[in-house]
Amino acid sequence: MPGQSTSIVPAASEHRQSAFSMHKIVALVTAMSLAICVAERSFAADNDQGAQLAATCAACHRLDGHDRGIPSIIGLSEEQFVVVMRAFKSGERSGPIMRTVVRSLSDEEIAILARYFASRGKEGERR
Amino acid sequence: MKCWTRRQFGCLAGATCTGALLARTARSQVRARVVVIGGGVGGATAAKYLALSSKTLDVTLVEPKGRYTTCFFSNLYLAGLRSFESLTHGYETLAQRYGVNIVHDTVTAIDPVAKNVSLESGARLSYDRIVLAPGIAFKAGAIDGYDDAAMQIMPHAWTAGPQTRLLRQQLETMADGGVFVLVAPPDPFRCPPGPYERAALIAYYFKQYKPRSKILIVDAKDSFFAQDVFEDGWNRHYPGMIEWLPAQFTGGVKAVDVKGRLVKTAGDTFKADVANVIPAQEAGRLAHEAHLVDQSGWCPIDPLTFESKLQPGIHVIGDAAKAGNMAKSAFASNSQAKVCAFAILAALTGSDRFAPHLFNTCYTLLASDDAVTSAISYSADAETIKVNDFFLSKVGDNAETRREAVREADGWYAAFTHDIFG
Repeated sequence: MPGQSTSIVPAASEHRQSAFSMHKIVALVTAMSLAICVAERSFAADNDQGAQLAATCAACHRLDGHDRGIPSIIGLSEEQFVVVMRAFKSGERSGPIMRTVVRSLSDEEIAILARYFASRGKEGERR
Repeated sequence: MKCWTRRQFGCLAGATCTGALLARTARSQVRARVVVIGGGVGGATAAKYLALSSKTLDVTLVEPKGRYTTCFFSNLYLAGLRSFESLTHGYETLAQRYGVNIVHDTVTAIDPVAKNVSLESGARLSYDRIVLAPGIAFKAGAIDGYDDAAMQIMPHAWTAGPQTRLLRQQLETMADGGVFVLVAPPDPFRCPPGPYERAALIAYYFKQYKPRSKILIVDAKDSFFAQDVFEDGWNRHYPGMIEWLPAQFTGGVKAVDVKGRLVKTAGDTFKADVANVIPAQEAGRLAHEAHLVDQSGWCPIDPLTFESKLQPGIHVIGDAAKAGNMAKSAFASNSQAKVCAFAILAALTGSDRFAPHLFNTCYTLLASDDAVTSAISYSADAETIKVNDFFLSKVGDNAETRREAVREADGWYAAFTHDIFG
């Protein structure tokens, strides 16, 4: 969840106060803040965007593994997911509804979805 | 990652990241309140996605009815292809799994200044945002003589529930050789293929049990969605049974006579054994009372957030919204509800915003082994929502493709209702 690492930076810097001069502490805090920011974007925001895009999929595909009538998309590896989406987009794989959906997604969005579904595996509903 | 938000860009630019994180945490300690009004497809989807996407929101869904009957697939019930129970869904899972407060009550007023909602029971709910999903209402006086009492004799069956059952009962008691008259509405209306699918599926029922019966569609329009595909299906499955009369031939339906079960156009009177009158439509009652409706009869909204252009803080989704070129359908309502929920989350919790995706897909049955599909993707900007990409089944599709679409349709109903209520 966003904000969960709030306390890490001040706590770590307090313990080291005696060994560091003030400007070094400032530099360290800034560097760690930047690192956390970047890390936060790649996990939390990527996951949030994945969840929002996956909500689109959920209008037709059950995300809990049921696959009656419409195939499950849970349990595909990242690579498999991207290959299947590209095949729909190019028309190599038939499926006019999927083709319409995939054509509206950017390559980056497909990659985010692939990571999102691969990381969920068959865990059931944890959205 | 290319879509940095302004806040995160601020972190990189040198503002302290801890500050930004603390601000976000402090903000989330106050539980923002969202009141969702209307437990149909749009409202229930919005409530679910608001609740599951943030533990810091207080989400309340106000809906008078204890259970919801889907209008989509109700034509299959009329055909005898589905049970009424299979169309009916409860709100228990939204409450138990996602923590949505379900209030079975009727909203009597919205006060956008005091920011509260009054309920029939006398209770009041304060809100930070409202999601209003009131569905449709029928335009008063559009057809002379078609009032609340007339609906009990000549059902519209265009909001599912008792009306759907009433129409089915009338079809069951009709004698073989009877005439079923379907009055189709002017644009825009809920579910553009719906009246024509209904004609096909009632013909499916007649073909088995009352094969000498006729179906007459008296339309307010001169053309309709996927007309060639429907006419092809009617002719292949039910030759000679369905007749469609465009407005240019009849002048459109002007009045009904309930006692004689008569449907009157400018120049003709049609005697029905069973009449299904689907009148002209507009946004649901509460949208009018809350001053959310413009001259068109529908609610103008910001296409990126579905926030009303007339009342800030109130979002309108589903059939009542004036959503550019989006069809009025359950699928579209579900799609809008998600875009709206994520926009509200961003506004109230500071979560990131991403490009919205809006879709509509549709499975329409012509017979028990013949379904057509359509899919539309839309692009939204600050001004409007436009069709981006469009697919529709064609006349001459091979039979196996159509059979496969029936199997898909069944799976889709299960997945879609699970997405809304499960």
